[in-house]
Amino acid sequence: MAERLANRLRELRAERELTQAALAELVGVTRKTINTVENEVFVPSTTLALKLARALGCSVETIFSLEQE
Amino acid sequence: MPTAADYETAERLGRKRARMLPFFAIIFLTQQASYFSGPDVNAGRPVDHIRIAAWLAMSVVLLLVLATGGGWFRSREVRALMNDEVTRVHRADAFRIGFFAAMIACIGVYLLGLFEPIGGRETVHLVMSCGIAAVLVRFGMLERRAHQDG
Repeated sequence: MAERLANRLRELRAERELTQAALAELVGVTRKTINTVENEVFVPSTTLALKLARALGCSVETIFSLEQE
Repeated sequence: MPTAADYETAERLGRKRARMLPFFAIIFLTQQASYFSGPDVNAGRPVDHIRIAAWLAMSVVLLLVLATGGGWFRSREVRALMNDEVTRVHRADAFRIGFFAAMIACIGVYLLGLFEPIGGRETVHLVMSCGIAAVLVRFGMLERRAHQDG
């Protein structure tokens, strides 16, 4: 069965009242990258996932999860 | 460490690049059309050498832009942001599509060559044009989609 990588990035970012641009600056990428991850168009590398978790002050598993399609 | 201005510049240049890439593909293909529809370039006239040199120069510049991501006269920080993770993935995907486009062009030229002889220069033109144009369109399309708000 196929699995997809779901994420709660938009929700967690909104909880912290961060814009995409602000989160992008914290992580060191462009707003475009945050946008594509939030829209699940792009699966980030482990490095970027760890940076996102650090910027949001939570674990990688809090942001990302595997879901059955 | 990139500054806030670097992020803004990278965002602006990234959007501009996404808009310009398909436009470059149109210019590039239009140039090829004039190459094939115009007088024989093998006639050895000075103007033909200029046409060939112009095509070669444009091809090399486009290849360099595609390979490096552009922004050559910007700071290292801006260039790094313009070529962040998602951009590199988009570029790799675009080159994959470009490779297949070039291979399909090769097959087309091979089949056409069975019925009508095609010179080496024309073959190189066709293969490079298909490959480069496909990369430009695909890279531009992926980048434009990524920049859309959502």
